Amino acid sequence: MKTSYPGRVLAVDLSTRSVSKEALPPSWIADFLGGRGVGARTLWENVPPHADPLGEDNVLILAPGVLTGTSAPCSGRTTLLAKGPATGHYLKSSVGGHLGISLKLAGVDLLVIRGCADRPVSLVLDGGDGRIVPADTEWGMTVRETTASLRSRYGEDAEVTCIGPAGERLVRFAAVMTSVYNAAARGGIGAVMGSKRLKAIVVPPARGSVDVADAPAFRAAVQKARDALYNDTVAKDLHRFGTARDVDLLNELHLLPTRNFQHSTMEGDAYALSGRSWAELGLLKRIVGCGGCIYCCHRFTRVPSGPFAGVSSGGPEYETVAAFGSGCGITKIEPVLAANSLCNDLGLDTISTGSVIQWAMESVQRGVLPDERRDGLDISFGNEQAMLELVRRIGYREGLGDLLAEGVARAADVIGAGSQAWAMQARGLEQSNVETRGSLGYALAFAVNPRGPDHLHTECLAEFGGTKEGIDLIERITGDRRLAVPSKEEARGVIVRWHEDMYAVSDALGLCAFATTAAYSLTESLISHLYAAATGRSPTDLELMRAGRRIETLERCFSLREGLLPERDDRLPDRIMSEIAPDLDRGEPVSDRKLKRLLDQYYHLHAWDLHTGRPLASTLSALDLSFAEGVCTPGDDR
Amino acid sequence: MPDTLHIDAERCTGCTSCMLACSFAKAGTHAMHLSRIRISRDEEIAEFQPKVCRQCRARACIAACPVNALTLSRETEAVLLEAELCIGCEACVAACPYDALRMDTERRLPLVCDLCGGSPSCVEACRFPRAIWYGEDPPS
Repeated sequence: MKTSYPGRVLAVDLSTRSVSKEALPPSWIADFLGGRGVGARTLWENVPPHADPLGEDNVLILAPGVLTGTSAPCSGRTTLLAKGPATGHYLKSSVGGHLGISLKLAGVDLLVIRGCADRPVSLVLDGGDGRIVPADTEWGMTVRETTASLRSRYGEDAEVTCIGPAGERLVRFAAVMTSVYNAAARGGIGAVMGSKRLKAIVVPPARGSVDVADAPAFRAAVQKARDALYNDTVAKDLHRFGTARDVDLLNELHLLPTRNFQHSTMEGDAYALSGRSWAELGLLKRIVGCGGCIYCCHRFTRVPSGPFAGVSSGGPEYETVAAFGSGCGITKIEPVLAANSLCNDLGLDTISTGSVIQWAMESVQRGVLPDERRDGLDISFGNEQAMLELVRRIGYREGLGDLLAEGVARAADVIGAGSQAWAMQARGLEQSNVETRGSLGYALAFAVNPRGPDHLHTECLAEFGGTKEGIDLIERITGDRRLAVPSKEEARGVIVRWHEDMYAVSDALGLCAFATTAAYSLTESLISHLYAAATGRSPTDLELMRAGRRIETLERCFSLREGLLPERDDRLPDRIMSEIAPDLDRGEPVSDRKLKRLLDQYYHLHAWDLHTGRPLASTLSALDLSFAEGVCTPGDDR
Repeated sequence: MPDTLHIDAERCTGCTSCMLACSFAKAGTHAMHLSRIRISRDEEIAEFQPKVCRQCRARACIAACPVNALTLSRETEAVLLEAELCIGCEACVAACPYDALRMDTERRLPLVCDLCGGSPSCVEACRFPRAIWYGEDPPS
C-alpha cells in the first residue's frame, strides 16, 4: 500500500566512509509514527550509554515527519536529534525551511549519521544515495558562504543544511542551519555535526514523490485542515506580524524578560522591537514561508539606512528580539537585526548566545567579571557594540567568547563569585525568553523538558487565555474555561500533559507546533484524518495522542539513562525560583514548594514515581516501552 | 468573461505549498517536477517568483502544436491537453513566451495548467499570502 512514510533509512558512517540503505522496523513506525518519534527510538538504540556527546559514538539523526512532503498544511518540519552537548541528555531540535521536503523527495525518511570523519566532509544525497565528499573549500566559511559555494557546485536549487564557524569550533550552542536562515538551534546540535567534521548535507532537487494511501480522503482532510487554519486568530496574526508580534504587549503585561530577567519590562519603546512595526519602519523585506506552510510566519528583514544599513537576514523571531533587545538592554531594533544576522551566519542559537552575553553583562554590573576577562570591551547592558563583538567572539571562540561558548552554566562555574545565581539555565541549557514566574504552565513545562528549559517541547500558549481558540481548548481539556489564567497552579499538569502529547505528535508527523499548540485549530481529529489518509493506518485520536506520550516518555528514559536526576534536574534557573523582578506585578518566584506541587500533578498524571520522578515499570509496560525498563525503574541505577 | 490567474511575486513567501497542491491535484502524488506552477527561490535575498500559465491572449502553445492536441476550454479559457493526441514534440514548451510550460519527461507530456476546471488548487494553498489568486478581486 502507498504511504507518505515508507520508513526508508539512509545510514552513513563517517568513520568508515560507508553509506547504506536500511528499512525501519514496522513496529517502530506503528509505535513512534515517524519524525521525532522514530528519531528518539533510533537514538535510544544507537547511542551507547554514557557516550561522549562530541565523540565518535554519538549519532546525528535527521528526521522529517510522516506528513512532510505532502500538501498537508504546515507539514514541512524536520527534527534533528543527538545526545546533547549542553546537557549530556536527550536533545531534539526542530527546523523548518525546505530540508524536510527535500529529504522526503530524495527518498529519505530518516538520515542516521554515525562516526566522525578524519577531515572536513560534506554529504551529498543524490536520488536517495549518499556520497561523502571533501569540504576543505567550505570549512571555515559562514552559513551564507557555504550555501552559495555548494549551490554553485550542486545547483542553485540544491537544499543546503550546514554548520557555520561556531559548529566547527564546537560551541556548545551551535546551530545547524538550513535554507540559509532556518535554524535547528537549541542544545548544541551544530556542535555534534561539527564534532563529526560534517560541514554540510546537500540535497540536489530530486525527481521523487511523496504518495498517500487514500488520495480522495487525503484531499478532503487537507481542505478541512486548511480551512481551520485560515480562520484561526493566531495563525492570522503569525502571518501578518510573525512570532515577534507581541513584544510590546508582553511589555505592557510586565512579562518581557529584560536585562537577564532582572526586570520584566523594558525602558524605551517596545513597539519598535515588535514585529507589528517592522513594515512601517521599512525593515520588512518579505514574509517568508517554510516549505509546505500556509501561514508563513518567517520574515526576511533588511536595514535600509543608518549605521546598520545593508544588514539583512532571515528573522528575527520573538526569542531573538528578547535575547538581544530587552534582554541586553537594547531598545533599538537595528542592533538586534545585526546580532540576528551574525548568529545566522556563524550558526549560533540566538537564545543561548543572548543569554550568555546577558550573564556577562550582569557579571560586569555586579563587578565580578575580572578586567582581564573583558577583552577591553565595555560589557554593559545597552552597549550594542560590545554585544555584537561578543557574538562574533563566541562564534570564533576568541577571548572571552571562548569561555562564553561553553554555555552559561560552565562559564559561571569558571568565574564563580556567585555568578551562578544569575546564570539563567537549568540542566546546562539557557532558558528561553518566557517569564516563567508569571506563567506556571510554562514553568512546569520548562522544568520537565528533557532537553532543558524552553518552550519548544511544550508550548502551552492557551493558559494565557489570549484567544477564543485557546480558552476553548482549556475548557475542553480541564472542563473549566476559567483556568485559562497563567498564574493559577490548578490543572497545570493536565494542561502541560496535553500540550506535550500534542507537540510530540506534531513533531512526529512534521507538523509545525504553532499550528497545533499555539493556533490550536489543527485538532487531534483533523490530524488523525490526515495521518490515516496518508498512511492507511487508522489510530483513534486517543491512540495518536498516546503515541505522543510514548515518545516523550522514551525521551525521559533516555535522559535518565544518561544521568538525569529528577530531584536535582527537574527545576528552573535559580533566579526564577528565588527572586522576583521588581516590576513583575503578577507572580512570585516559582519556589521549591510551588514547583514540587506542580511536579506532583505532572508525575501523577504520567504515572511516574512521585518521589523519584521516574516512570514505573508498569507505566513503561503500558506504553510498550518495557525495553527501557532497566534504566528507569526506581532504585535501579542510583 | 472567464477569470484568469493573477500573480503578485512580491507577496510570494517561497513556501511551495502551491507546487505540492498542484502536483497532488493533477498527478495524484506530491512531486515538485510534476507541478504546473513553479516557484523559483533566491533564498539568500528572499526573492521568490511564481511561474505559471497566465492564459495569455497569444496562445502561442496552441498555435505551435502540430497535432492539435492543445485546445481552449470554453468554460474557463484555459488551455487543455488531449494527451492521447500529444506526440511529445515539445513545440509548445519552446513556443511559450513566458517560459511557463515544461515537460513531464517520463510521460513525455507537457504540464499544462487547466485551472483545475475553474477552482485552482494552487490558489487554495495560498490564501494567506495571496501571491496567486483567481478572478478579478485583487487581494486585500
